[in-house]
Amino acid sequence: MKQAVRVIVNGRLYEEEVEPRLLLPYFLRENVGLTGTHVGCVIGECGACTILLDGKLVKSCLLFAAQADGKSILTVEGLGQNGSLHPVQEAFIEHYGLQCGYCTPGMVLAAYYLLSKNPDPSEAEIRLGLAGNLCMCTGYVQIVEAVKAAANRMRQA
Amino acid sequence: MAETKYVGKTIRGKEAPRHVSGRGNFVDDIVLRGMLHAVILRSPHAHARIAKVDAEAALNHPGVLSVVTPADVQSMTRPFKPGRYAAGLTKPIFEYATAVDKVRYVGEPVAAVAARDRGSAEDALELISVDYEPLPAVVDTRDAMSPTSPPLFEELGANLAWRGFLTYGNIEAAFAEADQIVRERLKIHRYSSTPLEPFACIASFDASTQKLTVWVNAQVPEVIYDALREALGLEDVRVIIPDIGGSFGQKIHLIRKYVVITSLLALKSRRPVKWIEDRSEHMMAAGHACAQEFDVEAAVKRDGTVLGLRFKEIDDVGGSVSTLTIHFTNKLNNLTNTYKVQNISMEGYSVVTNKCPVVPNRGIGKPGMCFIWERIMDRIAEALSLSPIEVRQVNLVPPDQFPYTTPNGNVYDSGDYPALLQQALKSIGYEKFREEQRREREKGRLLGIGVVVGVEPGGRNAARDLAIFPEMKETPGSGGVNGATIKLEKNGTVALFLGSPNSGQSHETTSAQVAADILGISTEKISTSTPFDSDLAPWGVAAANSGNNFHLYDIGAVHGAATRLKEKILKLAAHVLDAAPAELTIENGTVHAPGSPLKKVTFAELGKIAYGNQALMPKGFEAGLQTTFYYTFPHADTNLVPGSDRKVRAQFTFSAAAHAVIVEVDRHTGKVHVLRYLIVSDNGVVINPRVVEGQAYGSAAHGISVALGEGFIYNSDGQLLTITLTDYGKSSTLETPRIEIEHHPVPSPFTALGQKAAGEGAAIPSPAAIASAVEDALRPLGVKVRELPLTPEAVWRLIKNAQGGNSKFEIRNSK
Repeated sequence: MKQAVRVIVNGRLYEEEVEPRLLLPYFLRENVGLTGTHVGCVIGECGACTILLDGKLVKSCLLFAAQADGKSILTVEGLGQNGSLHPVQEAFIEHYGLQCGYCTPGMVLAAYYLLSKNPDPSEAEIRLGLAGNLCMCTGYVQIVEAVKAAANRMRQA
Repeated sequence: MAETKYVGKTIRGKEAPRHVSGRGNFVDDIVLRGMLHAVILRSPHAHARIAKVDAEAALNHPGVLSVVTPADVQSMTRPFKPGRYAAGLTKPIFEYATAVDKVRYVGEPVAAVAARDRGSAEDALELISVDYEPLPAVVDTRDAMSPTSPPLFEELGANLAWRGFLTYGNIEAAFAEADQIVRERLKIHRYSSTPLEPFACIASFDASTQKLTVWVNAQVPEVIYDALREALGLEDVRVIIPDIGGSFGQKIHLIRKYVVITSLLALKSRRPVKWIEDRSEHMMAAGHACAQEFDVEAAVKRDGTVLGLRFKEIDDVGGSVSTLTIHFTNKLNNLTNTYKVQNISMEGYSVVTNKCPVVPNRGIGKPGMCFIWERIMDRIAEALSLSPIEVRQVNLVPPDQFPYTTPNGNVYDSGDYPALLQQALKSIGYEKFREEQRREREKGRLLGIGVVVGVEPGGRNAARDLAIFPEMKETPGSGGVNGATIKLEKNGTVALFLGSPNSGQSHETTSAQVAADILGISTEKISTSTPFDSDLAPWGVAAANSGNNFHLYDIGAVHGAATRLKEKILKLAAHVLDAAPAELTIENGTVHAPGSPLKKVTFAELGKIAYGNQALMPKGFEAGLQTTFYYTFPHADTNLVPGSDRKVRAQFTFSAAAHAVIVEVDRHTGKVHVLRYLIVSDNGVVINPRVVEGQAYGSAAHGISVALGEGFIYNSDGQLLTITLTDYGKSSTLETPRIEIEHHPVPSPFTALGQKAAGEGAAIPSPAAIASAVEDALRPLGVKVRELPLTPEAVWRLIKNAQGGNSKFEIRNSK
């Protein structure tokens, strides 16, 4: 038996019939066709699948697609506007806040969410804000620098 | 190189924009028409005989198009060739992509299903019935070496699968001459670097042409290419490697099994098949770094000079013989670390156990070798009542001796080890810290400092293994080869084709920087082609995103190809401008001739001529502006292939670093807090500082996390207890310290730009640095740190035992 899902992703409405057991990140990747939401563990440990669901930062692998019915989702693809990148994305580029890029969409969204709640975070607050997102490449130093730089840029904007 | 507008600078990364916007191209992002989804049935037993596999019901399940069983694997494929990782095997052992007669570790692949969707494949997997006859699990290496231990491989008769011995210099004389012998037993546990993207593969077979194409996130195309040809007997194999979500050695070896399994499913179903590993599969079966145990003896003079070092190593290699000796043989790469010791001997024991097979991982045996040296240095200091810094200083290779040949034949290209150490002491404030430590100890705080040194070798030489296995029947080859192709397009932009895949080391960025300086063009005009495609890439044996090959082979090839292209551009431009090539200059994509500002021609104009206007080409000019260069290390002659003295260049460039770390141990919980972590690094001429720093931050963070707790734990039945990242203990932003880096580059005299390796390096000394600092913190209690990991529990036990009390809880784990 399939289940109807109506969900807004990055401002656009999608209506799909899905298997009840379909997890949300696979819905985003396969049904919606946005592959920036990555899967690294499927049990909510790594944060690669991080999205914003009705404005809250969530690990999408812990949700079924059906649970997103009637909700609004922001994925990394929805961050920039009119073809330009968001200041958080720009800061990650400039400060080498990534290496392989697999954790990056989730990390960028976690940073974006953090700065929306706390525009001037300390290093400790940044580290706490990103603690749910694992990166195996960078040792986090340049990620933290990128978030600090993004905060500066956004406060000045 | 005369001009360095780009080399040495941090430019805007070329890979980053696609990744921050979610447009990376990973294997799982690729969809082919009609593609099936595969899942794998794995052994729940550590050790069992497979009596029967019945997959009939699975095959009949709706949506299922193909099933692979051990019988299929045996009838449709040939076993893998043992390869140089298994050169020590005395009897042939046939290993296939799946288990065939026995399972030897939990998670070993047994069967596979491909269906129209992953859910159906998973449903069908449950319908495969396997009759196992469980056997006793062999978990502990000491037990495994006992003659009564049930053998994993009956053909070998015993679980001690290999034993070898190698000595350089006169070790007996060194020990006879010593004022003192310092001994220690050390242990390193099983860990991995757990890339965030697990293994992933798509296989597509075209029956009409008999061509097999695979998309896979493997680091070393050669491993996949050879495995598919050998196992499946196909001639025409194409390996495409898109973005890789981290690799660290993990994606070199065992991934070949899964590419073969996925390909078999594709061959049987005549459909493209995708297989994506899940996290728990990765933890169980994708490979671990080897647990190593060392008995170390150092022969020392009263002033701390090490005359000789002798060690015996027991390697827990897990349930496969395919990587039997890698952690031992790789110790030849940094056998003498930064030290001038002349006499050294090593004895290795490789023991098979019912655990995940071991694989390369950030330095393979090198962190172990550095751990041996740096732990024994601290022990020597204690034994002789010297400072640990002094003991290191007295043994460092002096800067005036470079290029320096080690007793086992490595040629260290350049370095200034005393300066690295000195700068680390100064920047961490060593003397001041010692005062603070004294004051704080009086208040009961346990503060400690560790300062260690290590080398980071780069490049490859497969002939190394002949030093340990001179009887190898099949030559492993020697040195390394990799290529690059560069093309000036007819619109004046430049396309660069690398011979190796990229898994996060900014290869597209740094190679563009090198080419831009040579060609006199902006990096923005250069695009590096991805993905790696074995049909198109100019690749050789060193097309390996591993072993710190990139800086040597890829950069060497890019440098060579760009230099050739420049010559060709100048030849054409000279003809067009009626000038001599030698008097031309290139600026920002335009070639200028002397005499008049009007005597100039742009790259775009030259491109149009080279691809379309024969009348304007010089006589005999090969049309087009594309060049390929295959690089081999030009200074490889000395000790390239070992002779009877067994001396061999294991790698070709030698970066080095001093690591200084300050920790505080909570005496009540055993938790170690890293208060400062500082690296002074010599990576030769740095092409892009932020890239090099990023590599060091990441590999140091991993080494620190390994030292402080991440790792695999098996119980006595051979069941893996750490199948999630949380159980495994991976450090997050909260546990990882803010690592600091200072550069102290000493250019290599042997490489095109003076560059040396920068990659896995900081994972080599960091476990030793942490061990040294924790021991220093616990010195008032008389604690000795002999093994990793230093989890809160382990440190708490060390403290309790030192205090004479019995630790209250007894948890028995076999690591």
